Amino acid sequence: MSQNRWLATGNFFTSYKQEQRIFLTHLDRLVFICFLVVLFVWPLFLEVGNKYMLVIDNILIAIVAILGLNLLTGFAGLISIGHAAFVGVGAYTVASFARVLGDSHVLITHAWPLMILMAGGVGAVVGAIVGLPAMRLKHLYLVIATLSFQMIFQWTINFMSFFNQGQTISIGRVFWFTGKVVRNQHYFFWYYVILVILIILGLAVRNLLRTRYGRCLVAVRDNDRAADAMGMHPGLTKVYAFAMSGFFAGVAGALHAYLFRGAGFESFTLHQSISYLAMAIVGGLGTLVGSFFGPMAIIMLDLQVENLSEFFKHQFSAALDLATALRPLTFGLVIVLFLMFEPRGIANWWRILRTYLKLWPFRY
Amino acid sequence: MNMSKKLLSVTVVICLALFVFACGEGEKIAELEKKIEQLSAEKADLEKTAAEAVDKPTAAQTYKIGFSGALTGTTSDVGVPYSKAIEDYCRYVNDEKMLGDDKLECMIRDDGYETEKTKRNFEDYMDEGIVFYLNYSTGSSMAMGKDFDEEKIPTITASYHAGNLDVSNYAFLPIVSYTSQALALADYLVANHKGDTPKVAMFIHPSAFGRAPVEDLKKAIAGGLKMDLVEVVEHGKDLDNTAMLQRWMNKKVQYVICQTVQPPVATMLKSAQGLGVIAGSYGEEGKLTFLGLHYAGGPDLVALAGSAVEGFFWTTSYRLMTEKGPGGDAQLALAKRYGRDDATANSQNYTNGVQVIQIAVETIIRAKAKGKKITRQALYEEMLAMNGYNAYNSLTTVGPVSYSKTDRQGVDMLQLYRAQGDVFRPVGAPFAFTPAK
Repeated sequence: MSQNRWLATGNFFTSYKQEQRIFLTHLDRLVFICFLVVLFVWPLFLEVGNKYMLVIDNILIAIVAILGLNLLTGFAGLISIGHAAFVGVGAYTVASFARVLGDSHVLITHAWPLMILMAGGVGAVVGAIVGLPAMRLKHLYLVIATLSFQMIFQWTINFMSFFNQGQTISIGRVFWFTGKVVRNQHYFFWYYVILVILIILGLAVRNLLRTRYGRCLVAVRDNDRAADAMGMHPGLTKVYAFAMSGFFAGVAGALHAYLFRGAGFESFTLHQSISYLAMAIVGGLGTLVGSFFGPMAIIMLDLQVENLSEFFKHQFSAALDLATALRPLTFGLVIVLFLMFEPRGIANWWRILRTYLKLWPFRY
Repeated sequence: MNMSKKLLSVTVVICLALFVFACGEGEKIAELEKKIEQLSAEKADLEKTAAEAVDKPTAAQTYKIGFSGALTGTTSDVGVPYSKAIEDYCRYVNDEKMLGDDKLECMIRDDGYETEKTKRNFEDYMDEGIVFYLNYSTGSSMAMGKDFDEEKIPTITASYHAGNLDVSNYAFLPIVSYTSQALALADYLVANHKGDTPKVAMFIHPSAFGRAPVEDLKKAIAGGLKMDLVEVVEHGKDLDNTAMLQRWMNKKVQYVICQTVQPPVATMLKSAQGLGVIAGSYGEEGKLTFLGLHYAGGPDLVALAGSAVEGFFWTTSYRLMTEKGPGGDAQLALAKRYGRDDATANSQNYTNGVQVIQIAVETIIRAKAKGKKITRQALYEEMLAMNGYNAYNSLTTVGPVSYSKTDRQGVDMLQLYRAQGDVFRPVGAPFAFTPAK
């Protein structure tokens, strides 16, 4: 191991434990802490409108969801195109309570941390159930199984009157120690809540990957027969991966419901599932940082394309429906380009940058 | 002794100093009094000027109105002409100085018929300080009702879902609700049907918008409306509806009530034309008579369905461009002035857009006329006062726009139209429809 714990320019590990540390150098830890401080402090100094706070909150929620999807698809190698449905399960868990008890019931407004946790729990249970076919199915067949879950979810929400036939089920404003979180505090309040949850879940994933359970996921992804031979249970590992993914998605769904003060069907469609998958791919499958970069890149891209679409819409006639086509076209193009030229996603650019900075000013 | 002399001399000096100072102060006091008088006069002048300024603002104001609608994606065929009308009328208001020196700024954003984006646009508009909001989709209007209430912002939605009025006190419908339209059509259907209880199918959009009138129609049937609702179909993106129409024919369906946008209706009508099942006259035995609510018909449907539209019954509160009259002429002139093509100029969705922005502008004009400061609350009050002799005639509708605390559905009159020779013609006179309780 390097004597200099601040600026190690290479890997000098002498034990497996050293390699598994969360922060390899003191500098890494310091940068991380500074970054966290910045994340917590900037809203106090910079004035940002509700629109942009909503976008930022949305990105953070997507990151929570992608952390779960990355565990499933990136680390365990199980492709899911029903992730939005898992997120929807979380949102509709909260919405169901609101429907039965009333949207301003104390459980919804005061015990919201419990509700978020409960939504994660329900997501985990549903994830485990949906993951059961994974004990027998692989690759494209498993994709179809997750697709069917997505379809079942959509149908259920869209047609059951209990779920208001997909129309938004409203959720009341929550309370904090200072009282009711009113409209002008709403997005800032949820920024901090989501940020805290994200940090906890991010560290949890980072830790998970250091444990035998995390290593099991990777082993099953790389070769499930070899993993079986090594004494692991590939089937249960896959179900476990689905359950964990469902938990993250459930938490994201509950946060989404609270942020938008309601749960509506259209936020959890197949299109959204594909968007989530795109976020995971663009960010970098099988990497923790990829779960952060992916949602940021895709949501920001989406915003810019929206602006461009609007520009085109005003410039050209309605018959030339270029604006409508522009969004899916750009979205598809970005995924294809990433798959072709940077299959390791933005996380790889981050790795290259870190390596460069680590060796700087030397090139080699 | 020395001490006494010193004290005496000090006392004398102090007295002299006080005397001199007092004399000087007297002059100063007089000066001060004079200054106070001057300042009082100036203050009175300033107060008078300020009062005049309040009554008659000299600095030009800019009032912001926001519209979020589907300019791309689902239902954009409705949203685009609707938004163009808002844009054009807004320019017209400024060009013609309808608000005097004040300006109107209409912000238009695409939400792709997605509630999340609509919410984002709404937050953006609130940051911008709008005084009036125009919303589009049913889903978002229902989801954001509480936001409208919290922000106390008067909102007109392009959705005529009666539920909008339940979720927000600040939501207004430009015309009667989908429910009233459907019930009015059903009433007409039953009243003009000859023979046994008519069998009816509903062809609806797979959303809250499409489902809006279904339950109320079922309740009306349960309450004694003599018709048999055989099937309610939520359409997909089918390019052909032959199978569905054949099924209806097998079930002896005679009437189809459509609650969706024009493209799926056009597809269905073309399939029906292919099968030869479109009724030649109202309620023809063994054939289908098609009827539609506001967004299901109109000139845009003629453009999409061609000759298959013949005999289609349609109800709305809007006047059509195919009819001569001051409203239609004004709309054509507006569209022409701002370089719109014929399709846009003649679209009833353009008419809708014109009407909602007209209402918003009218509230501003009325609030200004009363010397009110233009705020959301002032405009909301003006909306609620728009009734009786104060009802607003926009010329684009078959009846006046009237709102009150108990009635937030704008135009209470409906007109039935029938497609004849590629044009929708009025059937009878406009009528006021009051749903049976």
